[in-house]
Amino acid sequence: MSENIALPATPAPAGKPGWQLSRVQQTGAGLFAVLVVAVVVGPMLSPYGASETVCAPFAQPSAAHLLGCNDVGQDLLTGILTGGRVSLGIGLATALVTTTLATIYAVTAAYRGGAVDLAAMRFVDAIMALPFLPLVIVLGAFFGGSIFVQVAILCLVMWAQPVRELRAQALNLRSAEYVSASRAMGASAWRIVTRHIVPELAPLIVPQFVRVAHNAILIESALSFLGLGDPVQKSWGTILFHANARTAFLTDAWLWWVMPPGLLIALSVVSLALIGHGVGDRRNEGTVAATERRGQGRRRRTEDAFEASDVTVGYGDHRAVDQVSLTVANGDTLGLVGESGSGKSTLAMAAIRLLPPTGHIDDGSFWLGSTDLLELTPADLADLRGQRIALVPQSAMNALNPVQTVRTQIVEAIRLHRSVSKQQGIARAAELLDLVHLPRDRLSAYPHELSGGMRQRVVIAIALANDPEVLIADEPTTGLDVLVQAEIMALLRSLSARLGLTVLFVTHDLPLIASAASRLAIMQAGRVVEEGAPEDLARQPRHSHTKALFDSVPHLRDAKLWQRNPAAGPVLLDIDDVAVTFNRGLGARLRGASPVPAVRGVSLQMRPGEVVGLVGGSGSGKTTVARIALGLIAPDRGHVTVAGQPPRPGTVAHMVFQDPYQSMRPAMRVEDVVGEPLRIAGQTLEPVAEAVAAVRLPSDPGFLRRPVGSLSGGQRQRVAFARAIVTRPRLILADEPTSMLDQSLRAGLLGLMEELRREQGAAFLFITHDLPIARHFCDRIAVMHEGRIVEQGPADEIAFNPTNAYTKSLIAAAEFP
Amino acid sequence: MVWPRTLAAYAAVLLVALTINFILPRIAPGDPLSYLLPEDVLAEMTPEAEQRVLAEFGLDAPLTEQFGRYAAGVFQGDLGTSVRYGQPVWDVVLGRLPWTLLLMGWALAISAALGTALGILAARFRGQKGDIITTVTVLFLGSAPVFWVAMLLITVFSAELGWLPSFGAAPLTAFPGSSAYYWGVVERLIMPVTALTIAQTAGVWLTARSAMTVALGRDYVTFARAKGARERRVFYVHAFRNACLPIYTNVMISIGGLLGGALVVETVFSYPGIGSLILEGVEARDYNLLQGVFLVATLSVVLANLVADLSYPLLDPRARR
Repeated sequence: MSENIALPATPAPAGKPGWQLSRVQQTGAGLFAVLVVAVVVGPMLSPYGASETVCAPFAQPSAAHLLGCNDVGQDLLTGILTGGRVSLGIGLATALVTTTLATIYAVTAAYRGGAVDLAAMRFVDAIMALPFLPLVIVLGAFFGGSIFVQVAILCLVMWAQPVRELRAQALNLRSAEYVSASRAMGASAWRIVTRHIVPELAPLIVPQFVRVAHNAILIESALSFLGLGDPVQKSWGTILFHANARTAFLTDAWLWWVMPPGLLIALSVVSLALIGHGVGDRRNEGTVAATERRGQGRRRRTEDAFEASDVTVGYGDHRAVDQVSLTVANGDTLGLVGESGSGKSTLAMAAIRLLPPTGHIDDGSFWLGSTDLLELTPADLADLRGQRIALVPQSAMNALNPVQTVRTQIVEAIRLHRSVSKQQGIARAAELLDLVHLPRDRLSAYPHELSGGMRQRVVIAIALANDPEVLIADEPTTGLDVLVQAEIMALLRSLSARLGLTVLFVTHDLPLIASAASRLAIMQAGRVVEEGAPEDLARQPRHSHTKALFDSVPHLRDAKLWQRNPAAGPVLLDIDDVAVTFNRGLGARLRGASPVPAVRGVSLQMRPGEVVGLVGGSGSGKTTVARIALGLIAPDRGHVTVAGQPPRPGTVAHMVFQDPYQSMRPAMRVEDVVGEPLRIAGQTLEPVAEAVAAVRLPSDPGFLRRPVGSLSGGQRQRVAFARAIVTRPRLILADEPTSMLDQSLRAGLLGLMEELRREQGAAFLFITHDLPIARHFCDRIAVMHEGRIVEQGPADEIAFNPTNAYTKSLIAAAEFP
Repeated sequence: MVWPRTLAAYAAVLLVALTINFILPRIAPGDPLSYLLPEDVLAEMTPEAEQRVLAEFGLDAPLTEQFGRYAAGVFQGDLGTSVRYGQPVWDVVLGRLPWTLLLMGWALAISAALGTALGILAARFRGQKGDIITTVTVLFLGSAPVFWVAMLLITVFSAELGWLPSFGAAPLTAFPGSSAYYWGVVERLIMPVTALTIAQTAGVWLTARSAMTVALGRDYVTFARAKGARERRVFYVHAFRNACLPIYTNVMISIGGLLGGALVVETVFSYPGIGSLILEGVEARDYNLLQGVFLVATLSVVLANLVADLSYPLLDPRARR
């Protein structure tokens, strides 16, 4: 358990992508700037006043009057340029007032939440459902047409428009982990709103501003065109009103009287639309269609079912897979193991030629029996997919079409490759459900009516529909609960044995595959660094990365890695029979949400310096218990004390969140993140450097000023620990602190926690779904299931002599995945 | 549970519209009577006569009572009397509404079909040559003020080419019911519907394009390919079917905006729908008429939204109960 953590030398670009303009946006912004300059400067350069009579009525264009004159002998060009001031001015003023109001309204609604939010949003819905223009006309008719009244009316009608989107975003931000983190430090509502929510919201306010300006200019022009504009001010709309009233469009005057103002309105509006449009379009720029190039044809050498030979795959300039060769023998299962970014999924998806559009196969070949997959025409490839080579994709939760029934989707898979009748297809679909242990009545279900595990089974049924020779399983169990994961693995193993499948199993989870695969290939940075039978690799790893991977996953029954003296002293954390039910508020009831009992009577005690593991599946209530201990949630029943006091965020206990990519704002600097608890507590920032050094990160000013967005995941989680210990709390609640990180980083982070425990004397509540890790790292373990602690005791006692059925199934899942 | 909540939401919209209508003449600058009676009548009235009129209209009662009476009146179809026409507002509006609905119906149908078709095409060729030019063109067409487009259409097709009549909804000379009459109606429909369609299509196009792009990036599309489906099937059966959901929602939401466009277009073509009516109301300061039109417009939009809400589950199984 050494702490060699790699510090990537090159910080990732730390720019704010939200502010970079795409080409489309630049065009729009440039066009709009030109228009603004023209209407501001233009009238100053004109020798005439906009309302002066300077020539004969209806005069044709001449050198002196480039666009001729209107019905009362005013110069049209000057009038149009001056009118632009009013039109654009009204648009921008409306946008400014409206977005300001909408932001305040949206943030308030989102932050207060519950019934306030609900009522506020219903009101917005009601306003939004009113027909804009008739309302504006009625208001205009009653209140008259001065410019200020027009702006006021437009604001009155349009303020609701940006609220929905801003509120949705503010709501996301409110539940963002870095807001939770800030709250866990005891930050005030004002601080959270001004320091965390509004800065993140700002890039989203801009497009809303643009959209309101866009609509306001159009509506104002329509209003003025209908004669409801300011009678003494010229705007593009009123100029067109006069042109219409004089039926200028029936004469040659349309060219210089009707055309220019309308064109200018259209140009202003389109320039704003381009600015707004670019936001969604940026992603696509520079995207090229998928290209697949390969080296000269190679000869098929072996009789293996599947082979990749010298495959190189890239995304843009980046080489994701670098000259990889693999073979999977007939009926074998090869586990392709690697951490995020190692290229394992890229290789798998390249094999079935389903890379994302930016990916390209540069060299090598994939053999399926004696067929070269890269040589096939698209039509031949389609015939082969699902028939000879099938895929169980990553995030299988979303792999089913949400608007089709299970029956339709399975029957489609069958009928794409076999000319059978619909009836025969349905009969076969029913058999397939039997195969994956799903009741047949699930055929008529839609995907959203199925649990994650059930959807996964349907996906497997589809993959097996046509008895494929080779199955590619790309992280097929990621995102599922531990027990469901074990069930799906068991199913895949029994099916591949029964059907004689050749499986390429891609995963980051070494223990999951180690017992199921006949061979393992370890990938790192685009290359296969080692290959062999799982037992051999475990016993004698030759490559350091293989060793790191195996070291990071201690086996449940190995000698305990962390031994500590029994904890003593007065009780630090005392949770006594607490219960919490969510969705009990008025807002939830109005929404029609049913109450969710999250914690139903939990008692737990911790002593100073003790490490307690809170183990359970997703939704078991373990994170809620931590939030109660922190004082973020008040229990409906029972009571909690921390160091003899009722819990208050930011005092005795601190929390480390699961996902270091979410729990801090990427734009914040390391020192600001670590210093936040001190600022909230009103203390000096002196301990920051010390805390950063304590988590074994560089504490020089250069590093402290780096935005956390430029750090790696492992570094970020260390920053999160620095933030948790900076006020020297006596209790640290660590919520799955290693689960989002690559396996090889886990051991280092656990080692760090142990060091911090010793140096700072802090107690750790370690929340995890991983029973083996908890057994090794913790002194005591409490197993949670459906809101209750079903079993607690010394770690070894729980691991070796479990009494509860749920604990037993967790252990079974860990031992035979 | 969906029903009562949806209905309550729409009742709330109508309540807001009613409240706006009720409050406006009472908070707007000037004497409430000036919103009820023509100016020349008002000028000749004695204070006693004014009192009598106020009592007659119930304007001397407490505000809550006035509101109750107003709302009850509206629900019985009493929107007051139009000063301009000397008829009940409800009758005047109902006489004009069919023409507006005719315009809107055609524009909605054509723009939805056209925008979806072109949007799908754009999604197919997204990121390729011509994509940016198409985008800018469509956005420009969507940004042009609809009344301006209407004026230019008249310039070209009526003034210059003399192909289409630019005035009214039906020929004055032909006998209603004759084929010449119907042909005249169609002729007069072409330009206003075109102007509205141009304005409306851009929005549908944008929605369809982005909805298709989003759907094509989904995992179920990748999985459909992995099942062995050909591109055509992936595109239309899997991606398009899912893209229909946001397209449908967006088209239905845009009806309110379409109504606004129809009002403005009608004034350019002197088309006898509620848009021209609203302009006449503005010119004659006929406040009852304006409020009536606003209320009927709100009611139409609410009905359209209701239809959208109730029919959406047919498209999306996740919205079914």
